Amino acid sequence: MQLARCPTDDWTNHSSPGSIVLDTRDLSKVYGRGKQRFEAVKQVCLTLHPGEVLAFLGPNGAGKTTTIKMIAGLVRPTQGRVAVMGEDPHRQPRALRHIGAVLEGNRNLYWRLTPAENLDYFGVLRQVPRQLAHRRGLELLARFGLEEKRNTPVQKLSRGMQQKVAIAVALIHNPRLLLLDEPTLGLDVEAGEMVKALVRQIAQEGRAILLTTHQLDVAEELADRVAIIRRGRIIAEQSTESLLKEFSGSTYHLEVDGELSPQQIHTVTQLGATVQGTQLTYAGTPEKLYALLGALSPVPLVSVQRDRADLTQVFLKLVKD
Amino acid sequence: MIDLLYAELKRTWIQFIRYPTEVISGIVIIMAVFYGLFASAQYMAGPGFAFGDRLDAVVLGYALWTLIISVNNDIAINLQIEAETGTLEQVFLSPFGAPRVFLARAFASLALRLVILMVVLLLLMGISGSRLAFPPTLLLPLASLLLAGYGLAFLMGAAALVFKRVQQILGIFQFLLLFLLAAPLEEATGPMQYLRFLLPMLPSTGLLRDLMARGLSLDWFTYTLALLNGLVYFALGMLVFRWAEATAKQRGSLSGY
Ligand SMILES: Nc1ncnc2c1ncn2[C@@H]1O[C@H](COP(=O)(O)OP(=O)(O)OP(=O)(O)O)[C@@H](O)[C@H]1O
Ligand SMILES: [Mg+2]
Repeated sequence: MQLARCPTDDWTNHSSPGSIVLDTRDLSKVYGRGKQRFEAVKQVCLTLHPGEVLAFLGPNGAGKTTTIKMIAGLVRPTQGRVAVMGEDPHRQPRALRHIGAVLEGNRNLYWRLTPAENLDYFGVLRQVPRQLAHRRGLELLARFGLEEKRNTPVQKLSRGMQQKVAIAVALIHNPRLLLLDEPTLGLDVEAGEMVKALVRQIAQEGRAILLTTHQLDVAEELADRVAIIRRGRIIAEQSTESLLKEFSGSTYHLEVDGELSPQQIHTVTQLGATVQGTQLTYAGTPEKLYALLGALSPVPLVSVQRDRADLTQVFLKLVKD
Repeated sequence: MIDLLYAELKRTWIQFIRYPTEVISGIVIIMAVFYGLFASAQYMAGPGFAFGDRLDAVVLGYALWTLIISVNNDIAINLQIEAETGTLEQVFLSPFGAPRVFLARAFASLALRLVILMVVLLLLMGISGSRLAFPPTLLLPLASLLLAGYGLAFLMGAAALVFKRVQQILGIFQFLLLFLLAAPLEEATGPMQYLRFLLPMLPSTGLLRDLMARGLSLDWFTYTLALLNGLVYFALGMLVFRWAEATAKQRGSLSGY
């Protein structure tokens, strides 16, 4: 037995336990035995609150899908536990009422059935009364802009539409937690944008969303928080904003419209900036920046920009070492 | 649960009428095989040979065999197809739990298969000139037969969950079944007379032949044993299926890794 290694969240202290949608503790998975033994996931702790989007990032084979399936009750953890709205999907099948999932790959639906039939069927499968499932299905079709296609068999729909139907089906029982494993994989730009907009909307309804993706721009746009997993272990987990800030330099790039006088060049160089024609680079404190700006007056400014890391840079840096 | 049953019936029915060729070609193959067997048996035995009572028993045995094969393979084949197409995990996400979902599915496909069985039987009777009786009491041994049949179906389903590729096992199994079901073991003497109550489905098929082909009435003592046989195999199938589900989740192989 190993001791619990999850940090006690600050979050839990000032929010009631009822407001936690997902909580995993020391989730671990070992596949196979003997020589085949492979630790795919090691002590993963994740917490999700209503309305929160967590992007789960990591290289191929890092253990993202395994973790998602452990949360959904499809893969049994070797160690640790999952609580969705306080219920464990491995012990209480009722817990599955809170979970909607679109798993990896594009075939979460019955291809011979139409979107409307899929929604009806999966609604009942998720224990929604038949009439209610039908009504909700119609609402979802309308909301997702699928009304025209409601009676076309799924196999005749475009990949983007299929993905929309799959997300609609995952929402038919009004779950509190939505798991999306690579939801934008294989979609063209437009369909990708559509799915992103849907994810945003769904989070706004107060559902918690856990999504994996290899498209870091998608994660950067959608996620309130990111968790990066590498070889089964979480190596970073914090809000997207603070992660980006942490990895952003404190270098500023300035551009002016016009020549600086030799006097000005002298002053700004004294302040620690370097000048190249109309471009200035400055790596000092934010306070001194104003002195620098003052020294540039009255030459018009074109732009002042702080170096900002994007998630791709952060990701590569973290995953490399 | 009623809703689930209804939903499964609807899904089965839609998939059937939207793509009926698969089922219809299945029926045609069944008929062709039977006709081949029937004609060659007559040819080899010479024109003077008459099947007589035996004919009715053989027709019934063959028809039951086709029903039981489809029942037996039902769960395993669907599990395999759904693992390949990717819907299987969505099914396992149901708060009903997989055994209940697959039970509802079994009922739904049974409804369709019984309709098909009636068609097959009528066609066979047309081809062979056999005249079978349909007393209402036949529903009782049919029920015990199906209980055992679905017990085996869940066993096969369990095998599909754990071993994935089960086509070969299913194929071999079909011929074992043909032998078991077509041979009128209820006429056997010696130890087989008693052993047949331990083998899956045999007591029920014997009773069915009594009722439908031999014009006998239902023997309640034998039926109790047949029902017991059905219940035991059904319970066994469910038990092993649960074990297989747990094993697949342990290995992370539900979707066919
Ligand atoms: N059922 C299984 N049996 C044995 N090993 C497995 C099983 N499922 C996954 N693995 C292994 O566990 C590791 C993690 O796999 P997983 O699918 O969780 O990765 P992932 O992060 O989702 O990768 P990707 O980005 O490629 O989807 C991989 O090395 C994979 O080969
Ligand atoms: Mg994956």
